[in-house]
Amino acid sequence: MATPSRSLADDIRGRGDAELIDLVLARPDLARPAPADLTSLAARAGTRASVQRAVEALDRGHLQVLEAVVVAGDAAERSVLLHLLGTDDAGTVDAIVQDLWRSALVWRGVDGDHVVRTVPEVLGTAVAGLGAPMRELRPSSPPEHADPDRIRATVAEAPDDSRAMLERMTWGPAFGVLPAAAPGRTTARWLLEHHLLVPVSTDRVALPREVGLVLREGRLHRSTELTPPDIEARPVSLVDAAAGGAASECLTHVDELAAAWGADPPRVLRAGGLSVRDLRVTQMSLDLDPEHTAFVVELAYAAGLVADDGEVVPVWAPTSEIDEWSSSEAGHRWATLAVAWLGSTRAPHLVGRRGTGTGPANALGPDVQWPAIRAIRREVLRELASLEPGSAPDHASLRERLAWRRPNRSAAVLDEAVEAVLRESEWLGVTGRGALSEAGRALVAPLLPLLPAVRGDRATQAGGGNTSNGKRAARGRGDRGSGSGGGITSTEQTPPEAGAVAEGVAAAMSAHLPSPVDHILVQADLTAVAPGPLVGGLGSFMRLAADVESRGGATVYRFTPESVRRALDAGWTAADFTETVRRSSRTPVPQPLEYLVADVARKHGQTRIGGAAAYIRSDDEAVLDTMLASRDLTPLRLRRLAPTVLVSSADPRVLVDLLRDNGFAPVHEGQDGTVVHAETPRRRAGSRRRGPGPMVSPVDRPYTQTLVDGLRAAEATADQRRVEDETRPGPRILAMDPVVTLSLLRDAVADRHGVWIGYSDGHGATSRHLIHPQKVEGGRVRATDESGHEKSFSVHRITGATLES
Amino acid sequence: MNDGPLIVQSDKTLLLEVDHPNAEAARRAIAPFAELERAPEHVHTYRITPLGLWNARAAGHDAEQVVDALITHSRYAVPNALLVDVADTMDRYGRLTLTKEGLTDSPEGTRLVLRTTDRPVLEEVLRYKKIKPLTGERLDDLAVVVHPSERGTLKQELLKVGWPAEDLAGYVDGEAHPIDLDQADWHLRPYQQHAVDGFWHGGSGVVVLPCGAGKTLVGAGAMAAAKATTLILVTNTVSARQWKDELIRRTTLTEDEIGEYSGARKEIRPVTIATYQVLTTKRKGAYAHLDLLDARDWGLIVYDEVHLLPAPIFRMTADLQARRRLGLTATLVREDGREADVFSLIGPKRFDAPWKDIEAQGYIAPADCVEVRVSLPDGQRMAYAVSEPEERYRLASCSDAKLPVIEKLAEQHAGEPTLVIGQYLDQLHEVAERLGAEVITGETTVKERQRLYDAFRVGEITTLVVSKVANFSIDLPEASVAIQISGTFGSRQEEAQRLGRVLRPKGDGRTAHFYTIVSRDTVDADFAAHRQRFLAEQGYAYRIVDADDLI
Repeated sequence: MATPSRSLADDIRGRGDAELIDLVLARPDLARPAPADLTSLAARAGTRASVQRAVEALDRGHLQVLEAVVVAGDAAERSVLLHLLGTDDAGTVDAIVQDLWRSALVWRGVDGDHVVRTVPEVLGTAVAGLGAPMRELRPSSPPEHADPDRIRATVAEAPDDSRAMLERMTWGPAFGVLPAAAPGRTTARWLLEHHLLVPVSTDRVALPREVGLVLREGRLHRSTELTPPDIEARPVSLVDAAAGGAASECLTHVDELAAAWGADPPRVLRAGGLSVRDLRVTQMSLDLDPEHTAFVVELAYAAGLVADDGEVVPVWAPTSEIDEWSSSEAGHRWATLAVAWLGSTRAPHLVGRRGTGTGPANALGPDVQWPAIRAIRREVLRELASLEPGSAPDHASLRERLAWRRPNRSAAVLDEAVEAVLRESEWLGVTGRGALSEAGRALVAPLLPLLPAVRGDRATQAGGGNTSNGKRAARGRGDRGSGSGGGITSTEQTPPEAGAVAEGVAAAMSAHLPSPVDHILVQADLTAVAPGPLVGGLGSFMRLAADVESRGGATVYRFTPESVRRALDAGWTAADFTETVRRSSRTPVPQPLEYLVADVARKHGQTRIGGAAAYIRSDDEAVLDTMLASRDLTPLRLRRLAPTVLVSSADPRVLVDLLRDNGFAPVHEGQDGTVVHAETPRRRAGSRRRGPGPMVSPVDRPYTQTLVDGLRAAEATADQRRVEDETRPGPRILAMDPVVTLSLLRDAVADRHGVWIGYSDGHGATSRHLIHPQKVEGGRVRATDESGHEKSFSVHRITGATLES
Repeated sequence: MNDGPLIVQSDKTLLLEVDHPNAEAARRAIAPFAELERAPEHVHTYRITPLGLWNARAAGHDAEQVVDALITHSRYAVPNALLVDVADTMDRYGRLTLTKEGLTDSPEGTRLVLRTTDRPVLEEVLRYKKIKPLTGERLDDLAVVVHPSERGTLKQELLKVGWPAEDLAGYVDGEAHPIDLDQADWHLRPYQQHAVDGFWHGGSGVVVLPCGAGKTLVGAGAMAAAKATTLILVTNTVSARQWKDELIRRTTLTEDEIGEYSGARKEIRPVTIATYQVLTTKRKGAYAHLDLLDARDWGLIVYDEVHLLPAPIFRMTADLQARRRLGLTATLVREDGREADVFSLIGPKRFDAPWKDIEAQGYIAPADCVEVRVSLPDGQRMAYAVSEPEERYRLASCSDAKLPVIEKLAEQHAGEPTLVIGQYLDQLHEVAERLGAEVITGETTVKERQRLYDAFRVGEITTLVVSKVANFSIDLPEASVAIQISGTFGSRQEEAQRLGRVLRPKGDGRTAHFYTIVSRDTVDADFAAHRQRFLAEQGYAYRIVDADDLI
């Protein structure tokens, strides 16, 4: 580290390139838009919004240390920190403080570590559940009221009921409502009289921070958890086989969903989404439980395989993508689903819960949109990836680990989401029997370079002056080599590049999908068992020629008269049918099956049905003769079925029009009794292929490098100017980012320091003033000017500021 | 990927590839907990049901063994959800136990207590309206008193709500009575011995054996094990006589020790054979012969043909939970779907052997099943087409187009003991006339029936025409040809019984023949298809031939 700093800005200006890169990587929001120079980078790093983001991303260990640094006060001794944290593991604490410094939540001054001014604001008054300091609660109180020894002595004298009341407030909240009547009132009064509680309003009291700390015996947290809790995992076997099986089933479910919705698309609700009834119908046809069904539906939607078709009466229909998807290789099909799932912000487990509206949340509806689920999903997968291959985590310990990573999230919501993600991974085949599968690992791989551990290690090599490798190793204990490193995890990572990842994922999964079989086993009870997924041609034949009775690794088909008839209807002859079965079957074809086919074939076609779209009937046969003979009517391809009936494959309306044109006077007869030949329409909505999305280049190392280079260049220019300025009297005031100005003014208020400002008046002329700012609020600065008068300056008119030297 | 013989489907069926080298090991591993649903020639289907899993728990298997069996033999990865479900289901068994506990204040008194290791389970079951009244005083958080008379009903209801109770209350020994097997000139076959052991070890339960495999002897074996007074419940009088004859022949019991309790005779002896019918006879709205159940301190109750057990007997049986109960049947399939009642009131399945296995061991005859299709003459087709739906089956199955076929078949098998089995009396009489054979129907007197059976047995007559009275428990050791001309719609149970008629081993190891004659393109053929599916599922492949080819 270079020269000791006097402020965050100084600290940041003093950092090396590598450290700056680490800072920006840890807090990507600083890079957007690119700051002009290091000063504005520093100012931005100190804004409340940015600090808030950084603090929210802290894990429990880092948060606890940060709280300790705040409570310990500026430039506190390391031993004070250790005491507050109740640990003697200085190495771990140092490393965490180093992390906090690296992400600019703490800056190093001449005298020691300081928290960035906005951090306490972000943490709020109740840091770690402690109340505000005595001095803040009651500025008039004498300092001895805050003296720990006095407090300890007073507490020791406290009557039992008073001490019980204190104990209830010890671990927060450090506020209480005064009981309305005795005896509670009396109890509280004793405490108030002895300055262990401080009244904040007529009926509320607060426990001052100093008292709280004494009651906590000097410790800040009930339990200090600087290192992540271990994930208990047990080894499981056959992970990939199980995942392959699940993946294969998942593909089947999506296929079936597409088939069901292609034939009979459900309506889109007015508020968006799928009605409860339609979901239930889908559930019946997929034969799954409700949550699993919702998952399949949302998965297909996320992958762009089903969508709102956008018609006047909109329906959920398979998109045109589905045909391409269906015909591609199984591994690729799976990869498409898995990548879509990973990037999806939809949370199927919320389906059926009470939504924002009156009813329960509908599948595909707006209430199921929950962006946080994507981050949770990725975090869960990262934790899974951190385990040894082939080990399945104990759910409770995994939930605990994630709660440790995200101390700011509601535990109940997080736990529920984690369980849901684990269930979904299992259904999808990302995990098998609880452990991450090989394909799952390939899917997560692109996320891993951004893992905190990796970044932490790099930072150690680059700028870790304070941290020895030994200490880092100590921190890594019980962590299986992952995850404990940096406290700052950026939540917004750009999705991995879909194409390349998908290839790898597809390849990884292909190996474990059950390999297709080319034979079936036909039995005397007219069932045929396909002991695995069937190869294409045979598969479609069996789906046509037999009914599916049971699904899973194998498929059981049953030949029934109806199914045989279906095949004959589709153009198979009895001989072809029997021959195909004979060729595909590893077992002799049972005689009753041949008999069945022959029997159905015998009856097949006894009644004939043609595909006419319209008929013409007339009691006057001569009219019909005329029509048949008419050259103009040949395009209608009229055919005589009976002396008084003609049929045509043309649409009735066309028929009527054309006959009228030719001098006949036909009447349209309505639909009764007509046989309309129509294939079931398969609806397709327009493609909803998600484009590459808004082009956001990731805040990665090369980008950051460029950025830092730019900052350095700007800094050099500024230095140049500074040198020039020294030749002239008075400070030169550079035009500054208002954020920088504000933070400088705030610093000046705090340090009671004079500031030179550039101020533009109503005519646009800029003047210089040396002021002593007293308060910054509401876009105005109250300050005393050179003459000692109090004046108010609009912040937006201040062109720049510099501290009085 | 493991190359096992088993494929575990997500719908909880297990497909077992029979020709696989490890098929036998896999079968042994899954048999304790999975029900054999279909056993056609190549791939057998088992199903995992909660009942089956609880059966396995009752027999001392745990979830780990089940999961291990599935994983070891499975070709593909077993769906994890299924494994979890298996473990969960098996875990439900035994949370509740029925025990008999001594009373502290009265030394000789005992009471029946429903105990749990898991309080929420007890709270849950006690909230059911049907269960609450069956229990009495709440002892503590984990136990509640049960009225002794409600032991069976309680078990039945608990099973319905998915918390089967393990019955540890034990059995009364009953009044002792010396019974031994008289194995001078015969021996129990190994599988019969296994069945007896399996039953005795478990205390109560059902033994499933194909017709002709000697279920009566399993009953006798169980009696010899119990050495106590025994009540045997059978379907009808003929069957009662046969039990009696068989017991006199195979055991040390004498004629005086065996009583018959039927419509005709009301004897109560150390071993009493009663018919279902007499027990369910109502007089003035009350069951007149219920006292029989308490007439003696029975040590063992044997239910023949459990799958036919009428519902009232179930209710009576609910009160007999303290006595050992043995159910005998060829199939647990009940057309009324009350398999769960059999499980909770009589007991879990204790022994089961696939038909084909026993056939392979030579204890039952191999059978050749043939369906002969006759075409109705045009006149009858027309009559059939315009007939009322309820008349159709009768019209189709009684077609006289079948007669020449029957004659032809009888001629082909001349000299072999042949049964012609049908449903409709007119048709049977007509056939009998054409064949010159005797008819046995419900109207035939017991004495006449016995005479005809005896004559048939010794070979004096080779052809008998019988109605459905012959469906159950008649013992015709040498019948080797059965011709089925009409049946009770699509009853699979009946098909099993009829096939059983010819499956008893033949002296000369001949193949048995089982013909079904059906009218083409009618409901007769549809019903036949249903019954044949059952045959095929039992492993009996069948052929279809045209009547024209035959004649």
